[in-house]
Amino acid sequence: MNPQTHISGNGDDKRTLVVVFLRGAADGLTLVAPLGDDNYHRFRPRLAVKREDAVKLDGFFGLHANLRALEPAWKDGELSIVHGAGGESDTRSHFEAQELMEHGGPASGGWLARFLRTVNPTPNPLSAVALSPTLPEVLSGAPAAAAFESLAEFSLGTLGRGRASRLPANFSRELRRLYELETDGLRDAARNTFDAIARIEAIDPNAQPGNGASYDERDSFSHGLRQVAQLIKADVGLDAASVDLGGWDSHFVQKTQVEPLMLRLANGLAAFRQDLGARMATTTVVVMTEFGRRVAENSAFGTDHGRGSAMFVLGGGVKGGRIFGGLQPGGPWPGLKSEMLEGPGDLPVWNNYRNVLAPVLTRHGAPADMARIFPDYDLKPLPLYS
Amino acid sequence: MKKSTRREFIAASAGAVALSAAIFRSTQGWLAQMGQVAGIGVERPLGRVLTPPHAEKIDPVSHALSRLTFGASPGDYACVTTLGVQAFIEEQLAPEKIDDSLCDRATARFADMWNEPLGEQYDADPEALAPVLRRVTLLRAVYSERQLFEVMCEFWSDHFNIDPGKGDCRWTKPNDDAEVIRKHALGNFHELLRASALSPAMLWYLDGRANVKRTPDEKPNENYARELMELHTLGVHGGYSQQDVMEVARCLTGWTIHGRRDDGFSKKLPTLKSDHFAVFFRTEAHDDGAKRVLGQEIPAGLGKGDLDRVIEIVCGHASTAQFIARKLCVRFIADESPQSAVDAVASAFSSGRGDIKATLRALFATPEFAASTGVKLKRPFHFIVSALRATNASTDADRPLTSYLERMGHMPFRWPTPDGYPAAAAHWRATLLWRWNFALALANDHIAGTSIQRAHLQARIGSDVGLMATLLGRQPRAEESDAWLKSGDGLALLIASPAFQRC
Repeated sequence: MNPQTHISGNGDDKRTLVVVFLRGAADGLTLVAPLGDDNYHRFRPRLAVKREDAVKLDGFFGLHANLRALEPAWKDGELSIVHGAGGESDTRSHFEAQELMEHGGPASGGWLARFLRTVNPTPNPLSAVALSPTLPEVLSGAPAAAAFESLAEFSLGTLGRGRASRLPANFSRELRRLYELETDGLRDAARNTFDAIARIEAIDPNAQPGNGASYDERDSFSHGLRQVAQLIKADVGLDAASVDLGGWDSHFVQKTQVEPLMLRLANGLAAFRQDLGARMATTTVVVMTEFGRRVAENSAFGTDHGRGSAMFVLGGGVKGGRIFGGLQPGGPWPGLKSEMLEGPGDLPVWNNYRNVLAPVLTRHGAPADMARIFPDYDLKPLPLYS
Repeated sequence: MKKSTRREFIAASAGAVALSAAIFRSTQGWLAQMGQVAGIGVERPLGRVLTPPHAEKIDPVSHALSRLTFGASPGDYACVTTLGVQAFIEEQLAPEKIDDSLCDRATARFADMWNEPLGEQYDADPEALAPVLRRVTLLRAVYSERQLFEVMCEFWSDHFNIDPGKGDCRWTKPNDDAEVIRKHALGNFHELLRASALSPAMLWYLDGRANVKRTPDEKPNENYARELMELHTLGVHGGYSQQDVMEVARCLTGWTIHGRRDDGFSKKLPTLKSDHFAVFFRTEAHDDGAKRVLGQEIPAGLGKGDLDRVIEIVCGHASTAQFIARKLCVRFIADESPQSAVDAVASAFSSGRGDIKATLRALFATPEFAASTGVKLKRPFHFIVSALRATNASTDADRPLTSYLERMGHMPFRWPTPDGYPAAAAHWRATLLWRWNFALALANDHIAGTSIQRAHLQARIGSDVGLMATLLGRQPRAEESDAWLKSGDGLALLIASPAFQRC
C-alpha cells in the first residue's frame, strides 16, 4: 500500500489552512494605512504612515514600508486585505478578546478545532499542529492536535523541547513488529504514526527552502512558518497549522515596537509563499489579531486599545489584489470622521472576522451549514473568491 | 501542626515567586513536616506478596483490576486473588470503608483548597485553581485505594463536563468537583443530577443563571435545558422535542448565583464573602405558569419546586436509563456494547431508582462484561496512570508529567464542550507517538518529579517474565518476550506495546 493513501486525512486535494495570530492587538491603521484619508494624518500627526514611504496598493491604501515583502503577492493577486476587521464584543481586554476570537464567539473550544472535527473526524497524528509551546485556544478541542516548537520533537525517543533520549537501536523495529501483529485500528494508527515519523525524519532540516526562498532562522516566527512549509511539502496530511507572532501592544513609542514586528511578519510570509511555490494554490494563510488600536495617537507616541483592525488572506486561490475597506464589500472607505468612530474614538468593526473565515473554511471543505463551527451567528461571508 | 492558608499553598504550587518571606517560611515548614517538598512524590510501599498473573489470557481477577481501576499495581493481583473478585467489587463499591491514608498524604499539600468555603475561592488566583485541581485529580488516580470511586469521578466529570476556562467556572469548578461529582459519584443519580443543576459552576457554564423570565416578552435561555436532556439524561434521540426543551427551560427560570460582577443575571454581593457564588432563586425571574414536560403536567405556582418535578420526570424516563446504561457499558465493557448488556444495566438503574452502586453491580455481573477482556483502548489519562501504577512510580503530578497529557489532548478539565472527553477509541488513536515517548521517558526516569525504582521492582518481582505479567495482567506472549529481549529497553517497550494501550 502506498503510504500516502493511509496517512493523508484530506485526500488528493490536500489543503492546509495556516492561522497566524498577531497577539497584543496589532494596529491595522499602520499595517494598512488609509493614505488618502486626510483625517488619518490629522489623528496621527506623528505616527501616520507617510504617503511617500508607503507601499501603494490602490491609490488610496498603502502598506507600511516594512511590509514591502508582501507587495509581490499583492501584485500577483494572491493577497486580499480586509479592513475594519474584528469581533463584535467591545471588550478591550486582550485576554477576553483573544479567547472570544479563537473560540468563534462565547462558545467553548476553538473554531479551528470545530472545523477540523467537522471535516476530518478521524485525524492522523499530524492533521493539526501548533508551532508553540502549548496548544492555542483556537485548537482547543481538536482531535489529536500537536503543539511543538520544533519538528525534531515529533520523533520516537524525544523528551520534549527537542531533547533526545538514547533510543536503543532495535526499539523502533520491535515496537513496529508488535503493532503489526494487531488486527484492529491500533495497527493502522501505528502505521500512520511510523509513517509520519518517517516523513518528518526524511525532512532534511538543513535543506534549502524551495525557489530560492530565505527564512530568517533567528526569528521564531519565520522558523515556525518554515516548519509548516516543510510539513506541507512532506505530505504528512496537514489540515491546519497555527503560528503566533506576539508583541503588538504598542501603548508606548509604537514605531520602535511594531516596525521590527512588521518586518518579521512580511519577511516570514513572503519566504513561506516563495518556498511553497505552486503549493500556495492549496495553502491559505489567514492573519488576524484580537482588536485594533485607538485612531488618535496618545501622548507617549503610542496607541491604546481600540476595535477594528486588518486581516490578511494569502494564497489558497483567493482572488487577491483587493482590499475590503468599505462598509459594504467593494464600497469606499468610510473616512475617519469623529462621529463614525466608536467609543473612545476607535475604528468600528464592520467586517466580522467570521465573515472572513467562513469563505476560507468553505474553500477548505467546511459544510455549507457552518452553525457548528460558528454557533449563534448570522454569517455574511465576504466574496473573497469571486 | 501549623497550618498555612489555602491561598499560600496555591500560590506556592503555582510557582509564584512573589511570596513574602514569612509565608515562604511557613509554607516550607509545613511541607517539610509533611515530608514532601516540590518535586518528590509519595512513595508507595510494595506489598509483601507480589505474585504476578500466571494465566496466558486475562483472567477474571486481572480483568476486574484493569476495568474497575486505573490499572493494577504490583501486588494487586495477589490481593484480589486472595479476596475473590466478588468481594473486591463489593469492597470498591464501599469506598468510605477503604483506608486511603497514602492518597491523603499525596494530596495533603492541596487539602486546604477543598476545605475552605466556596466564597473564599473568590480571592484565589484563578489561574492557579484549575492546575491544582488537575494535579489532585491525577494524584488521586495514581495513589488512591478507592479506585472504582476515582474511575466513576472521572466518568461523571465527563458526563457533567464543565470547562473551568469559562467565566466564573475558573473559581467554581473545584467546588463542583467536591460537592457534585465526588459527593455523589457512587450515590444516587437523581441526587447527582439535582446537585449538578444547582452547582454554581454549572449554572455559569451552561448559562442557567441567565435563564430568566422577568417580563412577558423575555425568552428563557434554553442552553442548560437542552443539555440536561441531550447530554445528562435522555440522550439526543431520547424522545424529547424542542417544545420539551422550552418547557424545561421555563421550569428552571430564576435560579442564579452571586457572581463576581453584576451583569444583570448574576448579582454581586461585595460585602458578604460567604455569599460569593452562592446559588439562589429569584421568584420575580421565574415563569410560574403551568408547564408540560415529556407529557407530564406541572401545575402553575410550584415556584422553585419546578426543579424537583423536572429532575423526577427526566430521571424516571426510560431513555435516561438506556442512555446512562449505554455510557457505563461503553466505559466498562466495549465501545460497541451489546444491547443485551445495556438492557440489563438500564433495568438495574430503573429498579434502583438511579442507585449507582446497584447499577454498577448489575453491569459487572453481565456475561458481556466478563467476555470483554482486553478490548478497550485506554484513554491517555488512563494509560499514563496505569503505567505509573504498574511500575509503582512516585510522582508529584507536576508539569513535566501533565505535559504528556496536554500533548495527547487529555488534560483533566480542559475539554471545552459540555459533552466531555470522547469515550470511544477512534478519537484517541492518533496519540500513539506521545504514549511511546512517555513509556521511554518513564522507564528511564526522564520525567522530573516522577520516578520509578526499576531495579528494586524487578528484584522484588523476581524475573523479567514476572514483571511483564504484572504489566500485562497475563503471561507475556512469545513475541512479547522476544521483543522485550531484543528491543534494548523491555520495560519501555512493554508500556508502549499494543497490549498495554488496552484494558
